[in-house]
Order: sequence, then structure tokens, then C-alpha cells
Amino acid sequence: MNNTIVAISTPMGKGAISIVRLSGDKSLFIAKKVFLCKENIEPRKMILGKFIIEQGITEKCLMVYFKSPNSFTGEDIVEFHIHGGIILARKIQQKLIEEGAVLAEPGEFSKRAFENGKISLDEAESIIGEINSESEAELKSVLSSASGKLLDKIKNIQSDLTMLLAEIEVTMDYPEEDENEVVRDKIFEKLDAIQLSLRETLKNADAARYIRNGVNVALVGKANVGKSSLLNALIGENKAIVTSTEGTTRDVIEAKVDFQGIRFNFFDTAGIRDSNDDIEKIGIEKSKEKLEECDLVLLIYDGSEEFTKNDNDILKIIKKPFISVINKKDLKRKMKKQENEISVSAKLESNIEQLKQKIYDTIIKNEINFNGLVVTNERQLNHLKEAEKQIDEIFSVKNESLEIISMLIKKVWKELGKITGETENEDIISLIFSKFCVGK
Amino acid sequence: MKDSYEAIVIGAGHAGCEAGLALAKKGHKTLLLTISLDAVAFLACNPSIGGTAKGQLVSEIDALGGEMGIIADKTMIQIRMLNRGRGPAVQSLRAQSDKVQYHVEMKKVIENTDNLYLKQAEVIDIHIEKNKKIIRTAVGDEFICDVVVFATGVYLDSRIIIGEYTENVGPNGFKNAKKLSSSLTNLGYKLLRFKTGTPARINSRSIDFSELEEQHGDLNIQTFSFLTKEKPKDLASCYLTYTNLETHKIILENLDKAPAISGEIKGIGPRYCPSIETKIVRFADKDRHQLFLEPEALSTSEIYIQGFSTSMPAEIQHKMIHSIKGLEKAEIMRDAYAIEYDCIDPIQLKPSLESKIHEGLFFAGQINGTSGYEEAAAQGLMAGINAALKLENKNPLILSRSDAYIGVLIDDIVTKGTEEPYRMMTSRAEYRLSLRQDNADLRLTEKGREVGLVDDIRYKKFLEKKENLNKAIQLLNQKLKLDEKLILFFENNNENPPKNSITVREAVKRPNIDAFKINQEYQIFNDFDEEIINELNIITKYDGYLNQQEEDIQKMKKMEDVKIPENFTYENQKGLKIETIQKLSKIKPINLGQASRISGVSPADIAVLSVLIKKFKEKK
Repeated sequence: MNNTIVAISTPMGKGAISIVRLSGDKSLFIAKKVFLCKENIEPRKMILGKFIIEQGITEKCLMVYFKSPNSFTGEDIVEFHIHGGIILARKIQQKLIEEGAVLAEPGEFSKRAFENGKISLDEAESIIGEINSESEAELKSVLSSASGKLLDKIKNIQSDLTMLLAEIEVTMDYPEEDENEVVRDKIFEKLDAIQLSLRETLKNADAARYIRNGVNVALVGKANVGKSSLLNALIGENKAIVTSTEGTTRDVIEAKVDFQGIRFNFFDTAGIRDSNDDIEKIGIEKSKEKLEECDLVLLIYDGSEEFTKNDNDILKIIKKPFISVINKKDLKRKMKKQENEISVSAKLESNIEQLKQKIYDTIIKNEINFNGLVVTNERQLNHLKEAEKQIDEIFSVKNESLEIISMLIKKVWKELGKITGETENEDIISLIFSKFCVGK
Repeated sequence: MKDSYEAIVIGAGHAGCEAGLALAKKGHKTLLLTISLDAVAFLACNPSIGGTAKGQLVSEIDALGGEMGIIADKTMIQIRMLNRGRGPAVQSLRAQSDKVQYHVEMKKVIENTDNLYLKQAEVIDIHIEKNKKIIRTAVGDEFICDVVVFATGVYLDSRIIIGEYTENVGPNGFKNAKKLSSSLTNLGYKLLRFKTGTPARINSRSIDFSELEEQHGDLNIQTFSFLTKEKPKDLASCYLTYTNLETHKIILENLDKAPAISGEIKGIGPRYCPSIETKIVRFADKDRHQLFLEPEALSTSEIYIQGFSTSMPAEIQHKMIHSIKGLEKAEIMRDAYAIEYDCIDPIQLKPSLESKIHEGLFFAGQINGTSGYEEAAAQGLMAGINAALKLENKNPLILSRSDAYIGVLIDDIVTKGTEEPYRMMTSRAEYRLSLRQDNADLRLTEKGREVGLVDDIRYKKFLEKKENLNKAIQLLNQKLKLDEKLILFFENNNENPPKNSITVREAVKRPNIDAFKINQEYQIFNDFDEEIINELNIITKYDGYLNQQEEDIQKMKKMEDVKIPENFTYENQKGLKIETIQKLSKIKPINLGQASRISGVSPADIAVLSVLIKKFKEKK
């Protein structure tokens, strides 16, 4: 039985719609776990519903189910057609992986189609071409100059793991040798160091993600504090609708601006307050989602007003790093001092550059070491995260016997091997003989 | 008129004996040739059978219907369970064997097996005429047969080395096989030159044991064979001593006389079995090395010094030995020596151990670049079984890496080859958790039965165990009522008592509780013996991990289900890199799983290969 695979099947550019596709026996099973809809799911029928990205966060999208064998791969296929860009598509993909799908290998959809007789023999060569070109593209991305550093780093982590494995294995394969006994605490100490170095890499990978995709910044605040005006000031054009009627920004507006080589993606959100207007309600829901998705929040206050309960409510729902932006600095200040604050005037465009600098400093400066910059693609990031999770799991079963610990460490090694391309660890045994004096 | 047989086995060491017995038991008239009848099943090095991973091999041989486990149990001097304090997967039996009795008992079995003809002869040539194999011996005899198993051990063009002294002989001074190497070269086989060594033997009467640490055997453990009813024996002890700085000084001062280091020995030696001079050079910071003194047999005073193999000149050897505590006055009865020998590059073999070059030629044991009695016997058994299946026109028996260490061993050498004498280790087995000493019978008896080596007695015993185990497993679902007794039981075992009634299974899963303890308290498993209760503990406690491993196994099995047709050629296949084509054509993997294990073959290569294979199969 084949496992169920997932991939974003639309090109990695910016399109109006992205498609995330599952193929395999469990496609429908997985889809049903994350997709809420009123209609019955029938083959080849587009159904509107909600994709649960995490608890409380859903995305409206369309779903189609193709029943085996009447599908591209010949297996059960489920497609999610979603609005918006790559970030959302990746979240959907990630969620499906969490629910039991595995990321498709290069060319795997076509390969399955071929294996199930959906693609004729004559087309075999084109599938081989697809497999080769996709895996070469991945290889290239791994070997590219910036990424080469990532590769080195992960290889180093792998060899640390190998050394640790050799230390564990030698005690099991040579129980009669003295002085080879590893102390359990020592294993976990080393594993801890490895975990740390993995986390650092992941952090760098996140930083790299900022370079590639930009930093997502959400603007929030209660209605009419001047969010749209601030956005316009930041991007220097009139994109957001600015009126003084409460609740005019109903959609999440995205605008981009480059600052010192980093792209900021700004999301202006509807003023968060309880509304009876249906259209506005949707806007507010969207705002809350954006708050979850972003990397940084600009929490905007009207400096000429007192801090209210409404301000406090908003403050409470923010879980991401934020900057308190005290707007209307041209007016007399009544607002009390806020955490990580900066005063600006959107109207006069005063202190706007300083605000950009503050955004940059808050999110980028601390996280990116430009010299050691690494770029990772989605697959690499996935394997890194999985490896990190696996090490956590080892720590949770610390008292298991060494052979179990070893088995779990080997799993981590293999996970990282999916990035470095090393599939078999042949060094453990060599290390046992070169580092330890064993044998009759 | 040439004497005719169905099968001929060349060599009657640990591989040859198992091969010959398997062929004969399966009803094939088999000639078992040995260079010396006194060298049948000779334990040329350690007087011991088993050890980590090797113990598992012996029990696997036994489960399949081989002989080694039975003889090892019968001739044991003492036995221990290694890694007793660790998890079940790395626990292995290791026995001190009576070297004399082992040879005697195995030879007796062979002589008393129908269809098996044991004969002393040196084979000098083999040639093939229309599928018939003709074997010629040094004295001019000729034998004709359909299949041949080469199990020549370390006898091919071998020479022993002690300092500057070297002589073209086999182990222990037995005659070697001088001409068979060139016959193999003529047939097209690529040969490798390996070396190994053995330490000195000293007289126990000359050893001062008074200050040495004594090592006894374990009495309450299982033995190798699932048929053995007798409890383990503990008839003699081993002793522990150490090298010291004085020993090291003697060695370092005489390094120029060490052939392994001076370059006199060209053969590649095993890293896991380094000579003492190699250890001292490579691990200069260690000020002592551990040595075990092991009895060679009950009928002799000879003591084997484990950890002290060397090819130093005899005179230096003596000085080295006399520098060691307890051995100051040791009388050396046999000098240590290194031995160099020819073997074949095992990638010339199929996973059935049949040659890829010639149909009907099988290879097993040290001739395949492995080392160790157990590794040899395991291959001998498989080569014997597969040679017999060949005679019967049946598909070979190929054990997978998830079936047995035997599967790991053979897959490793035929897929990756070996650059040094190959020794089995538990670290080589990725499915180690399932490949345990205790469940070898559950894994393999059915397969042994299918090929016809498992007799009714063994099979009946196995079915009984399986049935009992299933009954016992059912009992795991039984509920333990939440009452004062249960609470007390948990508390006494340092476990938090459950909040509700609990199944026996859940209770066994607790780290400080096991089925034995539950039985003491609740008498649930009174009808079952220790072996079954032990099994229950393992499969319950490791349940989650075993399942994880099972998932991996299933993934691999799926790849192994995609067979690569023998007439599939790699040349000119578009989409495969040239290096990949070269590697694949050299190994000729039998399925995608094996292909994926060839070093340097990437997952993308495997994906491409799977498309090509499907295309190939469908075009036909």
C-alpha cells in the first residue's frame, strides 16, 4: 500500500489560486479531518468549505475529490483550491503533513500515474525527465552557494549524531570491553547540543525565509486610529481606502515595500471590534487570521486618546512580536507609555523611516547573520522540523534502553539524510573501530 | 568412470558442514571434501561460539534446522548472556566451547547422516562441461556433480606468519589448498587477499590464577538451540588479566619486527580483530588492554589468550606474555600467528550465494570475505539449502534483512562487498529490535519447515510454543480489578496505582512491573514457562517501537516486491547516470530494495529505475 503524498501543484509564483493535492489511500480520510463542509463529498464535485489550519483558524476554500481509479494518479486524489499566495498554500500543505500525508518526492505524482497505467509507456521518458529535473533542481538548491553552508551545517550535525551512535553502539556490540561504557547522561548532554545546533539552523532557515518571502507585518488597532493612513505613509501611495468612517477597511490589504534589501509585506486589517455588518464581520475574521500568520504586528494607538478597554482587548489577542505605534504625534499625547513604542504621524509622514528601521531591527537584525546566511526550500525546512521534533521525542523517553535510544537517533540521522542525500550511515561501524579499541 | 554425486561441498569447516548436512538432509547425494579429516568443524581461533549478534546467528541457524546450535549446546564449557542488563534486542549468548568435543561431535553427526559422504582430499581444479561440474583432487581422483559449494575457509593459498618466519600452510599448520585459487581465477573470479590472526596458547598449569579475576557462566538462561532440554553447564571458568606498560614497551621496542606493521603482510586484516601491536600503536593513550584467558577444552590444559593476537617473532611473543600479571611463568604451547589467504569478492554472488558467473556454483564462509564461525555456518546453511533447491528446480530461499541476521549478513556482502573480513554486529541490523535471540524460532522455523530442514520434533515444539504464546497474549486483555491488592501491588513496585481497573497489558507496560511480577501476585500465567512470559514482556513493553519498525519494514518490503528481471540490462538506459549504470550492472540487484542499498544509488535513481523496470516488463 502506497503512503499518501501531498504537494502544492501550482507553480511557486504568485497566482490567484493555489492547488494543494493529496494522492493515496488516505487522501479522503486526511481531507475529512481538516475540511469542514455542509455538502456531501462526491467524486468530481467542487465543494465549498473551511480548511482548519489550526484550532480557531480556518480558510475558506474549494475541495474536489477524485475517486480511484478515475484520477490523474489512479489513486484517490483530493485537491484543495485556495485563494492567495504561497504562504497559505504552504500552511495547508504543512497541516496535511501533520495529519499523516508525506511530502511527495520529485516527480512522484507522475510516477504513480505511470505505475497505475494512467500514463502510457511512451511517456515513461518524460516522467524520468521530470524526476531527474525536479531532483536536480532540489540538489542545486541545496548546493547553491548560500545553501552550501546549510548543507555543511547539516552534514556536521549528522556526523555528530554518527559519533554519538558509535559511542552507544560500541557498548552494545562490545559489552565485554572495559572503558567503553557510555554514561547515559553524556548521551543526552550531547543530544542536547545537537538539538541546539539544529534549532539554530532552523532559526537561520526562518531568517532565510524572510529574505525569500519577506516579513509579514500586520497592522492592527481599534477602528479609526489611522491604520490605513499609516499604511499609505509606509508605502507612499494611496492603496488603502482612507475615510474617517469607522470600519471602512473591510478587506485585508496587502502592500509591499523594500527596506534595506528586505521586503515588508504589510497587511492592513479591519478595525477589530464587534460588528453587526456581515461584510465587515468577514473582514474582522480575516484580520484575526492575519494576526496568526504574520511575523510582526504593528499595534496602532491614537496618541491623542486614553488607553481604553478596547485597546487592551486587542493587546491580549496578540501573540506575535509587536511594536506599539503611537499615531497622531502631531496632537497632544494622552496615551500612556506602551511597550516597545514609537511615535509617528501618519498624516505628516513623520518618523515613518524610523518605524521601518524599528521593524527591521525587531525582526531581522537579531535573527539574520548575513554572513552565515542559509536558504532553505520547503522540503528541507520540513525535514529539519521533523528532525527537531524527533529529538524532542527522544528526550521524552529518556529512560528507555539504549537500543531504543539508538534506534530513535538513527531516525533523526535518516531524516537529515533526506536533505544531504546520504541514505545509509556506513560510518558508525568505521567509527567504532577507529575511535575505540575493541576486538580480541 | 568418475564417481558421480548430486552435490559436492569443498571444505568441511563450519560453512561446509552446514552446507553438506542441509543438502544431504534434503535427500541429495553429497560429497563433503576436506583437506584433513582432523580439521572438520575445527575451532581454529577462539574456543567459543556466539557473542553479540553471533549468538543470534546461531539461534537462527538452529531455527532453520542447522546443526551449529545443537553441537554448541552439547559441547559447551560455560555460557553467558551478554548485555544482560540491556534491552532484549542486544542480548546475545556466548559460550565457551570444548574445541576437541566440538570437532568430535560434529564429525560424528556428519558421518551418521545418510546421503552424506565425508572424504579427505585436496581439490586442485574444477571445470565445467555442459552444466556438469568436474572436480579433480591432488591424488588424481575425479568427481562429477551438478552443484558445488565452495567453503574453503582460510585455506586458499594461505600462509602463516610469525615474525620473519613464514610458511605456506593453513591454520594450525594444516595443509593448505595450493592450486584451487588459480582454478577460480581461470573461471573468472576476482580474488581478494585478506589476513587474520590468532593468539598464543599457554599451559594452564603454568598460570598463576591467584590474583586474576574469575569469570563464571550464567546458569539460568536459555541455550542456543530451541531443541536443547538440558540446562546450561558451567564446567570451567575464564580469567581476566591485562597488558601493562612493560608489555607495551616490549612491543614498541620491537615494532620493526612486526610483519603487520613493517609491511611484510599485505593482506587486509579485520579492524575489529586487531593484533596487540596494532592496538598499542593506534591507541597509544591506553595504558592497558584487557585479556581473557579461555580454556580450549576440558581434555587439555591449553589456554587461549583472547585479545593478544600477534605476528611478532616467537622470542618477542614470549617476552610479551611473561610481562603480564599471572603469566609471568607461562609455558607457551603454541605460538601466535597471522594468516593470509585468498577469498573471492562477494559481490560476484547473488543473494542466494550462487555465483553470478556460473550457474550451480555456490560460495559460503570465509571464502566470501567474512570472518567468524557463526557467519560461516550461517552462509553454509543458506548455500546448502539453495544448492539443494537448485537441484530441485525451485526458487532460492532468500532471507530479508527484516527476517534474520543471516539476511543482513548476506545482503551486506553481496550488495556492498567488503573491504575487510566481515564480522556480524548488531549495529549492522537496522531492524535489530525484531531480530532477537529469543524469537529466532518464531521468525524462521516456518521457513525451515518449508524447505524441508525442520523435522517433526522441532516443528511440533515450535507450534506448541506459538500456540502457548497466543494463549498468553490473550490473557493480556484480562482486567485487574481496582482494589486494595492492586493498589498495594503498584505501590510496592514504585508505580502510581491506576485510577480504574486496568488490563494486564497496561500493567506490563509500566517500567517497574512485568509479567513475572504480575504472575507472582495474580497467578495469571501459571500455565506458561519462563520463555513465554519473557516473550510477553518484550512484545508488550516494546510494542510501540516494534510497530514503528514494522512500518519501516513494510516500506522496504514494498520495494523488494519489485523484482528486477534477470535479463534487464542497464546499458543505454536513458535517465540513469553513467556511474549509476556501472554500479547497478556490477551488482545486478534482484529487486528495487537491494538496488536502493547500493552505495551511491540515490532515491531519484530508484524512482527512475522503477519506471524503467515497469516499462521493460510491460513491453515484453
